[in-house]
Amino acid sequence: MRLKSYGDMNLLELDVMKEISSIGTSHAATSLSKLLQKEVRITIPEVNILSYDETVDKIGHIEELVAATLVQMSNEVNGLMLFIFKMDLANAVLGKLLSRHYTSFEEMDEMDYSALEEIGNIIICSYVNAFTQLVGVEIDLSVPSSTINMLGGILTVPIAEYGYETDKLMYINAEFIMDGEKLSDGLLMLPDIESLNRILEKLGIS
Amino acid sequence: MADKDLKVGIGDMKFTRGSGVVITYALGSCIGITFYDPFLKLGALLHIMLPNRADPNDPKVFKYADSGIHETVRKLSAFGMVKSRTVVKIAGGAKMFDVKGNSDFGNIGQRNAAMVKKILMEERLRISAEDTGGTYARTMLLDVATGDVAVRTVGKPEKHL
Repeated sequence: MRLKSYGDMNLLELDVMKEISSIGTSHAATSLSKLLQKEVRITIPEVNILSYDETVDKIGHIEELVAATLVQMSNEVNGLMLFIFKMDLANAVLGKLLSRHYTSFEEMDEMDYSALEEIGNIIICSYVNAFTQLVGVEIDLSVPSSTINMLGGILTVPIAEYGYETDKLMYINAEFIMDGEKLSDGLLMLPDIESLNRILEKLGIS
Repeated sequence: MADKDLKVGIGDMKFTRGSGVVITYALGSCIGITFYDPFLKLGALLHIMLPNRADPNDPKVFKYADSGIHETVRKLSAFGMVKSRTVVKIAGGAKMFDVKGNSDFGNIGQRNAAMVKKILMEERLRISAEDTGGTYARTMLLDVATGDVAVRTVGKPEKHL
């Protein structure tokens, strides 16, 4: 059966996505750990298919200032990858890399932004690499683009981009654990519907 | 105070009369459109996400600029709004991400703004103020008692349109 929306995925299909995501996020944690020279662990991710409002509530507050890195996927899978940094994760990462600590994103300079963009990109790339190997699809990634903005505004980008196809977002919710501290991760993988069908077909479950 | 505010979600519209604040948070590429009839103190805030409703059976009329504006005008007219004295203000339509090598991506804000202006012109409504474009998200509020429209952005003072 061909899916028409993310919301059409059944439990089996969601379970498979969760399994793949779990491998993807652990690859991402390994890359982060190498980069920061520090043990980074990750909890088993939940894969949530949520509406815009639910995604905002799950990640934080609608007007909360967050940093986000966006990468476009093309080739056999078309879509977007979005990684959202909240203040706790940004501080943990910048503290280790640049020995800097902030109370707000507004205090950061170009150097910090660029570091966050690069880390977002590394997390996305290692996730997608694991994904392509597992599923057996070719995915090309664009150069990253990032912004510091209100969470609600950032999430309108994917919801508007696929607004004619679906009202839902696929939010992969796991937590990085560094120094015993749980840090929220906000990874969104948003293949377009055609690509989602192709992924499920490749996995032999559609 | 805050709990009395009418919150407008993405792809939605709310209106009220006499007093109160209608607010919509974090407009990214979406556009917020306020309609205010000062004589009746009747005010509406519409939050659209996409330019046009491609499927005429799509029940989410307020998600799109064309069907959203038409429906808002229809509802407000039923409450006595007179177009010639109605003050319309728009905000939003930002480009949140700049993807290198793909300038088309994220232009949805610009397309939304163009469509909103076109439809408002068709409806013979004049835009008296706008704050569109840029690269940042905006929160938009309409105070129905006074008709004041404020736009909040991060790191800048509140702007009154």
